[in-house]
Amino acid sequence: MRTLAESIMQILEIPATKYTPFVRLDPETKKIEIRGESYPENTIEFYSPLLAWLQEFFSLPATETPLVIEIEIIYFNSSSSKVLMNLFDELEERVQQGFAVQVFWIYDPENESALEYGEEFQEDLEHLDFCLTEKSI
Amino acid sequence: MYFDLLHLKNDLSQKGIFFEFSGPLTQSLLVELGDILKLKMKLESASTLTILKVFALVVEQTQNIIHYSAEKQNQNPAINLDLSTGIIAVGYKDREYFVQAGNLMETDDVARLKSKLNLLKTMDAAQLKKLYKEQRRKDPGEKSKGGGLGFIEIARKSSRPIEFDFAPVDEKYSFFSLNAHIS
Repeated sequence: MRTLAESIMQILEIPATKYTPFVRLDPETKKIEIRGESYPENTIEFYSPLLAWLQEFFSLPATETPLVIEIEIIYFNSSSSKVLMNLFDELEERVQQGFAVQVFWIYDPENESALEYGEEFQEDLEHLDFCLTEKSI
Repeated sequence: MYFDLLHLKNDLSQKGIFFEFSGPLTQSLLVELGDILKLKMKLESASTLTILKVFALVVEQTQNIIHYSAEKQNQNPAINLDLSTGIIAVGYKDREYFVQAGNLMETDDVARLKSKLNLLKTMDAAQLKKLYKEQRRKDPGEKSKGGGLGFIEIARKSSRPIEFDFAPVDEKYSFFSLNAHIS
């Protein structure tokens, strides 16, 4: 039987470009993927469908299955960094409201700065399960 | 001959500049520029980390021009499009890469930007990190289009303090130049 969330919400998928990441949000598997580079001219505009999707997702009752977010970003500009921080702050609030959320920050060990970026987000988060994961080859 | 490209080319080479663009800048041009730059630095056997740092400076400085340059090339009111004009230069000299950017800005905004950059110049890595994190959680200012993090990011990436200059152009505008190094 399909849950309410699955029957109402749609998959959101945005293909990657050279300067925006591949984004996929799946309500059925409760999985969000963000992969690639992120330096659009207007970051807020690019990420607003993702944030709107999340608003809708969290307007539905919390379930036991956690929302899993996998982020593997090679490079992001400073305004993307701000949008990501807003996203994590939002998720942190949702965790306090009783939603189960897991974030995996996937970094390439060859790219020293990717781990550092992940650590800098992790340091600023208290309640969100934010896991730094080395990319498996 | 009333144009002398050889002289211009020699002048740039002598300064170590291997890429320079002056004119209207766009996001798609930035993407192409980034690709060429990454390829060129790879061929010079620069490390992945150095390539990413130089690329990050080029992105932040070019997007600064796109967002904030006071020189917009559109005399056609029927078209809702602004082409922001500026200069971006990338070079290598004395075992350091450098990224320079310049654009017109309103002289009224100079004092505010100057004090901000002067402050960044005096900060060490730990202070810059702290400021970056504070600013990242703040609401962007009224005039900010990117979140107000660009200059802090540039200062954090730079191997030594950023250099900048403001030159008056006329009664309304000044020319802002910024130089950042990666060793």
